[in-house]
Amino acid sequence: MAALLVCLPSYSYSEQVFGTTTNAASSGYNWVMSNVLPQATGLTVSNVIYRYTTVKDPDDPMLVHVSNENPIDGGYTFRSTDDWTGIPGNTINRVIPISQIPIEYWGDGSIEWEGKGRVDDPFVVYTYQYDTCYDPQADPDCPGYKPEIPDIPPVPDVADPINDQFVQDELDREMMLRDEDEEEKQRAKLADAEEEEEDVDLETVLGIVGRSLQGAEDTAKHNQVMALSQFSQQYFQQLPDGVIEDTVVLKDSRLPRNNRGRRLQFAQDLLHDKLVKSQYRGEQ
Amino acid sequence: MFKKTLALCVSLAAMNAYAVDTPIIGQVESKCVVTTDKQGVYGNPSASILSTDAADGGVEPVVRFDVVLAEAYKAVIAHPISFSQSPQLNDVVNWTGSTSVEAVSDAGMSAYDTSKVEYDNVTEVDLDIAGSTWFKVSSEADYGFNKALPGGTYTAIVEANCIAL
Repeated sequence: MAALLVCLPSYSYSEQVFGTTTNAASSGYNWVMSNVLPQATGLTVSNVIYRYTTVKDPDDPMLVHVSNENPIDGGYTFRSTDDWTGIPGNTINRVIPISQIPIEYWGDGSIEWEGKGRVDDPFVVYTYQYDTCYDPQADPDCPGYKPEIPDIPPVPDVADPINDQFVQDELDREMMLRDEDEEEKQRAKLADAEEEEEDVDLETVLGIVGRSLQGAEDTAKHNQVMALSQFSQQYFQQLPDGVIEDTVVLKDSRLPRNNRGRRLQFAQDLLHDKLVKSQYRGEQ
Repeated sequence: MFKKTLALCVSLAAMNAYAVDTPIIGQVESKCVVTTDKQGVYGNPSASILSTDAADGGVEPVVRFDVVLAEAYKAVIAHPISFSQSPQLNDVVNWTGSTSVEAVSDAGMSAYDTSKVEYDNVTEVDLDIAGSTWFKVSSEADYGFNKALPGGTYTAIVEANCIAL
Protein backbone atom coordinates (compact mmCIF):
# COMPACT_ATOMS: atom_id res chain seq x y z
CA MET A 1 0.00 0.00 0.00
CA ALA A 2 2.79 2.39 0.93
CA ALA A 3 4.62 1.56 -2.28
CA LEU A 4 1.45 2.24 -4.23
CA LEU A 5 1.07 5.62 -2.59
CA VAL A 6 4.67 6.48 -3.40
CA CYS A 7 4.11 5.52 -7.02
CA LEU A 8 1.01 7.68 -7.40
CA PRO A 9 1.60 10.75 -9.56
CA SER A 10 1.72 14.09 -7.81
CA TYR A 11 -1.04 16.63 -8.28
CA SER A 12 1.19 19.07 -10.16
CA TYR A 13 0.21 19.36 -13.80
CA SER A 14 1.04 21.25 -16.96
CA GLU A 15 -1.54 21.49 -19.71
CA GLN A 16 -1.20 22.48 -23.36
CA VAL A 17 -4.17 24.54 -24.48
CA PHE A 18 -5.02 24.68 -28.19
CA GLY A 19 -7.56 27.13 -29.49
CA THR A 20 -8.93 29.20 -32.35
CA THR A 21 -9.95 32.82 -32.14
CA THR A 22 -13.21 34.23 -33.31
CA ASN A 23 -13.36 36.14 -36.60
CA ALA A 24 -10.93 39.01 -36.11
CA ALA A 25 -12.44 40.87 -39.07
CA SER A 26 -16.03 40.57 -37.90
CA SER A 27 -16.29 44.28 -37.23
CA GLY A 28 -14.16 45.67 -40.03
CA TYR A 29 -10.98 45.51 -42.02
CA ASN A 30 -8.77 46.44 -39.03
CA TRP A 31 -8.53 44.73 -35.68
CA VAL A 32 -6.62 44.99 -32.41
CA MET A 33 -4.88 41.74 -31.56
CA SER A 34 -5.17 42.19 -27.80
CA ASN A 35 -8.94 41.89 -28.33
CA VAL A 36 -8.54 38.79 -30.47
CA LEU A 37 -5.91 36.57 -28.82
CA PRO A 38 -6.26 35.47 -25.20
CA GLN A 39 -3.64 37.25 -23.12
CA ALA A 40 -1.90 34.11 -21.87
CA THR A 41 1.80 34.04 -21.04
CA GLY A 42 3.78 31.95 -23.50
CA LEU A 43 1.02 31.89 -26.13
CA THR A 44 2.19 31.22 -29.67
CA VAL A 45 0.27 31.46 -32.95
CA SER A 46 0.32 28.35 -35.13
CA ASN A 47 -1.83 29.26 -38.16
CA VAL A 48 -3.56 32.15 -39.81
CA ILE A 49 -6.73 31.15 -41.61
CA TYR A 50 -8.50 33.71 -43.74
CA ARG A 51 -11.24 33.92 -46.27
CA TYR A 52 -12.68 36.79 -48.25
CA THR A 53 -14.43 37.38 -51.53
CA THR A 54 -13.22 39.80 -54.14
CA VAL A 55 -15.67 41.60 -56.37
CA LYS A 56 -13.92 42.98 -59.41
CA ASP A 57 -13.69 43.16 -63.15
CA PRO A 58 -11.43 40.35 -64.42
CA ASP A 59 -9.26 42.82 -66.32
CA ASP A 60 -8.66 45.16 -63.38
CA PRO A 61 -5.51 44.99 -61.31
CA MET A 62 -6.02 44.19 -57.67
CA LEU A 63 -3.79 43.18 -54.77
CA VAL A 64 -5.17 42.15 -51.39
CA HIS A 65 -2.96 42.12 -48.29
CA VAL A 66 -3.78 40.38 -45.04
CA SER A 67 -1.26 41.42 -42.43
CA ASN A 68 -0.28 41.88 -38.81
CA GLU A 69 2.15 44.51 -37.64
CA ASN A 70 5.27 43.69 -35.65
CA PRO A 71 5.22 45.93 -32.58
CA ILE A 72 8.71 44.88 -31.47
CA ASP A 73 10.91 45.00 -34.56
CA GLY A 74 8.66 47.10 -36.79
CA GLY A 75 7.32 46.01 -40.18
CA TYR A 76 5.05 43.00 -40.32
CA THR A 77 4.95 39.75 -38.40
CA PHE A 78 2.58 38.28 -40.93
CA ARG A 79 1.71 39.50 -44.43
CA SER A 80 0.03 37.54 -47.18
CA THR A 81 -0.69 39.10 -50.55
CA ASP A 82 -3.09 37.72 -53.16
CA ASP A 83 -2.77 39.01 -56.69
CA TRP A 84 -6.15 39.16 -58.40
CA THR A 85 -4.87 41.09 -61.41
CA GLY A 86 -6.36 39.85 -64.70
CA ILE A 87 -8.58 37.22 -63.14
CA PRO A 88 -12.17 37.30 -62.02
CA GLY A 89 -13.03 37.86 -58.41
CA ASN A 90 -13.71 34.88 -56.23
CA THR A 91 -13.68 33.62 -52.69
CA ILE A 92 -10.32 32.66 -51.33
CA ASN A 93 -9.70 30.30 -48.46
CA ARG A 94 -6.18 30.13 -47.10
CA VAL A 95 -4.54 28.36 -44.21
CA ILE A 96 -1.06 29.68 -43.59
CA PRO A 97 1.09 27.81 -41.07
CA ILE A 98 3.12 30.00 -38.74
CA SER A 99 6.16 28.73 -36.91
CA GLN A 100 4.90 29.33 -33.38
CA ILE A 101 5.44 33.07 -33.21
CA PRO A 102 5.00 34.43 -29.65
CA ILE A 103 2.04 36.65 -28.82
CA GLU A 104 4.15 39.75 -28.21
CA TYR A 105 5.07 39.87 -31.90
CA TRP A 106 1.44 40.08 -33.02
CA GLY A 107 0.43 43.66 -33.53
CA ASP A 108 -2.75 45.06 -35.01
CA GLY A 109 -4.12 43.27 -38.07
CA SER A 110 -5.75 44.44 -41.26
CA ILE A 111 -7.05 43.55 -44.72
CA GLU A 112 -6.04 46.15 -47.30
CA TRP A 113 -6.30 46.20 -51.05
CA GLU A 114 -4.83 48.11 -53.93
CA GLY A 115 -6.39 48.59 -57.34
CA LYS A 116 -10.00 48.44 -58.45
CA GLY A 117 -12.54 46.22 -56.79
CA ARG A 118 -13.54 45.48 -53.24
CA VAL A 119 -13.25 42.82 -50.58
CA ASP A 120 -16.40 41.34 -49.07
CA ASP A 121 -17.08 39.04 -46.14
CA PRO A 122 -13.61 39.04 -44.59
CA PHE A 123 -12.97 36.21 -42.18
CA VAL A 124 -9.67 35.91 -40.31
CA VAL A 125 -8.97 33.53 -37.43
CA TYR A 126 -5.79 32.52 -35.64
CA THR A 127 -5.02 29.15 -34.14
CA TYR A 128 -2.87 29.29 -31.04
CA GLN A 129 -1.48 27.22 -28.23
CA TYR A 130 0.01 27.81 -24.81
CA ASP A 131 1.17 25.97 -21.72
CA THR A 132 -0.84 26.74 -18.61
CA CYS A 133 2.39 26.36 -16.64
CA TYR A 134 4.62 28.36 -18.96
CA ASP A 135 5.23 30.51 -15.91
CA PRO A 136 5.46 28.01 -13.01
CA GLN A 137 4.55 30.80 -10.60
CA ALA A 138 1.16 31.20 -12.29
CA ASP A 139 -0.31 28.33 -10.30
CA PRO A 140 0.84 26.57 -7.12
CA ASP A 141 -0.05 23.28 -8.84
CA CYS A 142 2.48 23.90 -11.62
CA PRO A 143 5.68 21.84 -11.54
CA GLY A 144 8.58 24.03 -10.49
CA TYR A 145 6.39 26.40 -8.47
CA LYS A 146 8.31 28.17 -5.73
CA PRO A 147 6.56 30.02 -2.90
CA GLU A 148 6.88 33.78 -3.18
CA ILE A 149 9.53 35.37 -1.00
CA PRO A 150 8.88 39.07 -0.44
CA ASP A 151 11.51 41.40 -1.77
CA ILE A 152 13.56 42.98 0.97
CA PRO A 153 14.38 46.53 -0.02
CA PRO A 154 18.10 47.18 -0.13
CA VAL A 155 19.50 49.05 2.84
CA PRO A 156 20.70 52.47 1.75
CA ASP A 157 24.40 53.07 2.05
CA VAL A 158 24.85 55.05 5.23
CA ALA A 159 28.21 56.56 6.08
CA ASP A 160 29.22 55.00 9.36
CA PRO A 161 30.77 57.70 11.58
CA ILE A 162 32.82 55.00 13.25
CA ASN A 163 34.72 54.59 10.02
CA ASP A 164 35.98 58.17 10.27
CA GLN A 165 39.63 58.15 11.23
CA PHE A 166 39.39 61.05 13.67
CA VAL A 167 36.41 59.51 15.49
CA GLN A 168 38.15 56.18 15.49
CA ASP A 169 41.25 57.70 17.06
CA GLU A 170 39.15 59.41 19.69
CA LEU A 171 37.30 56.20 20.47
CA ASP A 172 40.58 54.30 20.69
CA ARG A 173 41.90 56.86 23.09
CA GLU A 174 38.75 56.68 25.23
CA MET A 175 38.90 52.93 25.19
CA MET A 176 42.53 53.07 26.20
CA LEU A 177 41.69 55.34 29.14
CA ARG A 178 38.80 53.15 30.10
CA ASP A 179 40.99 50.09 29.81
CA GLU A 180 43.56 51.74 32.03
CA ASP A 181 40.89 52.58 34.59
CA GLU A 182 39.51 49.12 34.38
CA GLU A 183 42.95 47.67 34.65
CA GLU A 184 43.67 49.75 37.70
CA LYS A 185 40.39 48.77 39.27
CA GLN A 186 41.08 45.17 38.47
CA ARG A 187 44.53 45.45 39.91
CA ALA A 188 43.17 47.04 43.10
CA LYS A 189 40.49 44.43 43.32
CA LEU A 190 43.05 41.70 42.82
CA ALA A 191 45.29 43.23 45.47
CA ASP A 192 42.39 43.45 47.90
CA ALA A 193 41.47 39.92 47.18
CA GLU A 194 45.05 38.75 47.68
CA GLU A 195 45.32 40.74 50.90
CA GLU A 196 42.08 39.35 52.13
CA GLU A 197 43.25 35.91 51.18
CA GLU A 198 46.51 36.49 52.99
CA ASP A 199 44.63 37.81 56.05
CA VAL A 200 42.38 34.87 56.02
CA ASP A 201 45.33 32.56 55.67
CA LEU A 202 47.26 34.27 58.45
CA GLU A 203 44.30 34.23 60.73
CA THR A 204 43.78 30.59 60.00
CA VAL A 205 47.42 29.81 60.63
CA LEU A 206 47.47 31.91 63.75
CA GLY A 207 44.34 30.26 64.87
CA ILE A 208 45.88 26.88 64.39
CA VAL A 209 49.19 27.92 65.87
CA GLY A 210 47.50 29.82 68.61
CA ARG A 211 45.55 26.85 69.56
CA SER A 212 48.70 24.74 69.66
CA LEU A 213 51.13 27.14 71.25
CA GLN A 214 49.05 29.26 73.51
CA GLY A 215 49.57 26.90 76.17
CA ALA A 216 49.98 27.20 79.84
CA GLU A 217 53.66 28.04 79.50
CA ASP A 218 52.99 31.21 77.55
CA THR A 219 50.34 32.27 79.94
CA ALA A 220 52.70 31.80 82.80
CA LYS A 221 55.39 33.89 81.09
CA HIS A 222 52.91 36.61 80.42
CA ASN A 223 51.88 36.68 84.00
CA GLN A 224 55.52 36.89 85.11
CA VAL A 225 56.19 39.82 82.88
CA MET A 226 53.15 41.60 84.05
CA ALA A 227 54.21 41.01 87.63
CA LEU A 228 57.44 42.94 87.11
CA SER A 229 56.79 46.44 88.33
CA GLN A 230 60.05 48.19 87.32
CA PHE A 231 58.52 49.14 84.04
CA SER A 232 56.74 52.54 84.46
CA GLN A 233 53.29 52.69 83.15
CA GLN A 234 53.71 56.34 81.85
CA TYR A 235 56.45 58.29 80.02
CA PHE A 236 57.14 62.04 80.51
CA GLN A 237 59.23 64.32 78.24
CA GLN A 238 59.60 68.05 78.66
CA LEU A 239 59.37 70.22 75.53
CA PRO A 240 61.49 73.40 75.53
CA ASP A 241 59.56 76.72 75.72
CA GLY A 242 60.07 79.60 73.15
CA VAL A 243 59.08 80.91 69.75
CA ILE A 244 60.13 79.22 66.68
CA GLU A 245 60.65 81.85 63.99
CA ASP A 246 60.29 81.41 60.24
CA THR A 247 63.65 81.27 58.68
CA VAL A 248 62.53 81.93 55.07
CA VAL A 249 61.76 85.51 54.17
CA LEU A 250 60.26 86.41 50.79
CA LYS A 251 61.26 89.72 49.29
CA ASP A 252 58.54 91.96 47.88
CA SER A 253 58.65 92.09 44.12
CA ARG A 254 56.41 91.69 41.07
CA LEU A 255 55.49 88.12 40.24
CA PRO A 256 55.53 87.41 36.47
CA ARG A 257 52.57 85.70 34.78
CA ASN A 258 53.02 82.01 34.54
CA ASN A 259 51.83 81.49 30.96
CA ARG A 260 53.06 77.96 30.89
CA GLY A 261 51.07 77.14 33.96
CA ARG A 262 48.06 78.87 32.51
CA ARG A 263 48.27 76.84 29.32
CA LEU A 264 48.66 73.70 31.36
CA GLN A 265 45.63 74.70 33.43
CA PHE A 266 43.54 75.29 30.29
CA ALA A 267 44.68 72.07 28.78
CA GLN A 268 43.78 70.21 31.95
CA ASP A 269 40.40 71.93 32.04
CA LEU A 270 39.72 70.93 28.44
CA LEU A 271 40.83 67.43 29.11
CA HIS A 272 38.66 67.30 32.17
CA ASP A 273 35.63 68.55 30.23
CA LYS A 274 36.30 66.05 27.53
CA LEU A 275 36.60 63.24 30.02
CA VAL A 276 33.37 64.26 31.72
CA LYS A 277 31.55 64.43 28.39
CA SER A 278 33.00 61.15 27.24
CA GLN A 279 31.52 59.53 30.33
CA TYR A 280 28.05 60.61 29.29
CA ARG A 281 28.66 59.48 25.74
CA GLY A 282 29.81 56.17 27.05
CA GLU A 283 26.61 55.79 29.05
CA GLN A 284 24.50 56.23 25.92
CA MET B 1 26.87 -48.30 -68.52
CA PHE B 2 28.37 -46.99 -65.30
CA LYS B 3 30.08 -44.18 -67.07
CA LYS B 4 26.77 -42.88 -68.56
CA THR B 5 25.06 -42.94 -65.24
CA LEU B 6 27.78 -40.87 -63.63
CA ALA B 7 27.67 -38.35 -66.41
CA LEU B 8 23.94 -37.89 -65.86
CA CYS B 9 24.41 -37.26 -62.14
CA VAL B 10 26.96 -34.52 -62.77
CA SER B 11 24.68 -32.92 -65.26
CA LEU B 12 21.78 -32.84 -62.79
CA ALA B 13 23.93 -31.21 -60.12
CA ALA B 14 24.92 -28.45 -62.52
CA MET B 15 21.30 -27.69 -63.36
CA ASN B 16 20.32 -27.41 -59.68
CA ALA B 17 21.89 -23.87 -59.25
CA TYR B 18 20.20 -21.38 -56.80
CA ALA B 19 18.12 -18.39 -58.03
CA VAL B 20 16.66 -15.47 -56.04
CA ASP B 21 13.92 -13.07 -57.06
CA THR B 22 14.35 -9.75 -55.25
CA PRO B 23 11.21 -7.58 -55.29
CA ILE B 24 11.27 -3.80 -55.37
CA ILE B 25 8.24 -2.32 -53.66
CA GLY B 26 7.08 1.22 -54.20
CA GLN B 27 4.09 2.96 -52.69
CA VAL B 28 2.52 5.81 -54.63
CA GLU B 29 0.12 8.03 -52.75
CA SER B 30 -2.18 10.23 -54.72
CA LYS B 31 -1.17 13.88 -54.83
CA CYS B 32 -4.77 14.79 -55.63
CA VAL B 33 -7.61 14.28 -53.19
CA VAL B 34 -11.29 14.86 -53.92
CA THR B 35 -13.60 15.49 -50.99
CA THR B 36 -17.27 16.33 -50.71
CA ASP B 37 -17.37 19.53 -48.72
CA LYS B 38 -21.09 20.07 -48.83
CA GLN B 39 -23.94 17.70 -49.62
CA GLY B 40 -26.44 18.94 -52.19
CA VAL B 41 -30.15 19.16 -51.70
CA TYR B 42 -32.89 19.45 -54.29
CA GLY B 43 -35.54 22.01 -53.72
CA ASN B 44 -38.97 21.61 -55.27
CA PRO B 45 -40.11 25.09 -56.32
CA SER B 46 -42.81 23.74 -58.57
CA ALA B 47 -44.46 20.38 -59.11
CA SER B 48 -42.33 19.49 -62.09
CA ILE B 49 -38.94 20.93 -61.02
CA LEU B 50 -36.17 19.84 -58.72
CA SER B 51 -33.41 22.39 -58.33
CA THR B 52 -30.30 22.94 -56.20
CA ASP B 53 -30.58 26.71 -56.56
CA ALA B 54 -30.79 28.42 -53.20
CA ALA B 55 -33.65 30.55 -54.51
CA ASP B 56 -35.56 27.32 -55.15
CA GLY B 57 -34.89 26.00 -51.66
CA GLY B 58 -32.02 23.81 -52.71
CA VAL B 59 -28.38 23.55 -51.74
CA GLU B 60 -25.59 23.32 -54.28
CA PRO B 61 -23.10 20.57 -53.54
CA VAL B 62 -19.45 21.57 -53.17
CA VAL B 63 -16.51 19.36 -54.10
CA ARG B 64 -12.97 20.18 -53.05
CA PHE B 65 -9.89 19.22 -55.00
CA ASP B 66 -6.62 19.26 -53.01
CA VAL B 67 -3.60 19.14 -55.28
CA VAL B 68 -0.06 18.86 -53.98
CA LEU B 69 1.61 19.02 -57.39
CA ALA B 70 0.90 21.88 -59.78
CA GLU B 71 0.14 21.16 -63.45
CA ALA B 72 -0.15 17.43 -62.85
CA TYR B 73 -3.89 16.83 -62.64
CA LYS B 74 -7.19 17.91 -64.07
CA ALA B 75 -10.57 17.98 -62.40
CA VAL B 76 -13.38 16.31 -64.34
CA ILE B 77 -16.79 17.00 -62.88
CA ALA B 78 -20.06 15.78 -64.33
CA HIS B 79 -23.37 17.17 -63.17
CA PRO B 80 -26.25 14.65 -63.09
CA ILE B 81 -28.25 13.61 -66.13
CA SER B 82 -30.23 10.90 -64.41
CA PHE B 83 -31.56 9.96 -61.01
CA SER B 84 -29.79 7.18 -59.20
CA GLN B 85 -32.88 6.71 -57.11
CA SER B 86 -36.42 7.89 -57.79
CA PRO B 87 -39.99 6.70 -58.07
CA GLN B 88 -40.93 5.26 -61.38
CA LEU B 89 -41.02 8.00 -63.99
CA ASN B 90 -43.07 7.66 -67.11
CA ASP B 91 -41.97 10.81 -68.83
CA VAL B 92 -38.75 12.47 -69.89
CA VAL B 93 -36.61 14.44 -67.49
CA ASN B 94 -34.78 17.45 -68.90
CA TRP B 95 -31.51 18.03 -67.10
CA THR B 96 -29.50 21.24 -66.87
CA GLY B 97 -26.51 22.04 -64.73
CA SER B 98 -23.14 23.68 -64.45
CA THR B 99 -19.90 23.60 -62.51
CA SER B 100 -18.02 26.68 -61.31
CA VAL B 101 -15.26 27.61 -58.92
CA GLU B 102 -16.73 28.52 -55.55
CA ALA B 103 -13.57 29.24 -53.62
CA VAL B 104 -9.81 28.98 -54.02
CA SER B 105 -6.75 28.76 -51.82
CA ASP B 106 -4.74 30.83 -54.26
CA ALA B 107 -5.98 33.86 -56.12
CA GLY B 108 -4.60 32.50 -59.38
CA MET B 109 -7.07 29.60 -59.24
CA SER B 110 -9.82 32.06 -59.89
CA ALA B 111 -8.80 31.82 -63.54
CA TYR B 112 -10.04 28.21 -63.62
CA ASP B 113 -13.51 29.54 -64.26
CA THR B 114 -12.42 31.15 -67.50
CA SER B 115 -10.13 28.37 -68.62
CA LYS B 116 -12.48 25.47 -67.95
CA VAL B 117 -13.68 23.27 -70.79
CA GLU B 118 -17.34 22.21 -70.91
CA TYR B 119 -18.92 19.54 -73.02
CA ASP B 120 -22.13 17.60 -72.53
CA ASN B 121 -22.62 17.50 -68.77
CA VAL B 122 -18.88 17.50 -68.07
CA THR B 123 -16.58 20.30 -66.97
CA GLU B 124 -12.83 19.85 -67.14
CA VAL B 125 -10.40 22.11 -65.34
CA ASP B 126 -6.63 21.87 -65.47
CA LEU B 127 -5.35 22.25 -61.92
CA ASP B 128 -2.33 24.41 -62.69
CA ILE B 129 -1.73 25.63 -59.14
CA ALA B 130 -1.04 23.54 -56.07
CA GLY B 131 -3.61 24.00 -53.36
CA SER B 132 -7.31 23.55 -52.80
CA THR B 133 -10.11 24.46 -55.15
CA TRP B 134 -13.77 24.29 -54.25
CA PHE B 135 -16.18 23.60 -57.11
CA LYS B 136 -19.89 24.05 -56.75
CA VAL B 137 -22.30 22.18 -58.96
CA SER B 138 -25.77 23.28 -59.83
CA SER B 139 -28.38 20.86 -61.10
CA GLU B 140 -31.99 21.14 -62.24
CA ALA B 141 -34.41 18.44 -63.33
CA ASP B 142 -37.52 19.43 -65.25
CA TYR B 143 -40.03 16.63 -65.57
CA GLY B 144 -42.09 16.24 -68.73
CA PHE B 145 -43.95 19.29 -69.89
CA ASN B 146 -45.00 20.88 -66.64
CA LYS B 147 -45.79 17.42 -65.38
CA ALA B 148 -45.90 16.80 -61.67
CA LEU B 149 -43.15 14.61 -60.32
CA PRO B 150 -44.42 11.59 -58.47
CA GLY B 151 -43.93 11.65 -54.74
CA GLY B 152 -40.86 9.94 -53.34
CA THR B 153 -37.16 10.34 -52.78
CA TYR B 154 -34.99 11.54 -55.63
CA THR B 155 -31.27 11.11 -55.62
CA ALA B 156 -28.79 12.17 -58.27
CA ILE B 157 -25.01 11.79 -58.31
CA VAL B 158 -22.35 14.36 -59.16
CA GLU B 159 -19.30 12.58 -60.45
CA ALA B 160 -16.00 14.29 -59.66
CA ASN B 161 -12.69 12.78 -60.77
CA CYS B 162 -9.11 13.86 -60.49
CA ILE B 163 -7.21 12.63 -63.52
CA ALA B 164 -3.45 12.73 -63.93
CA LEU B 165 -2.32 14.67 -66.98
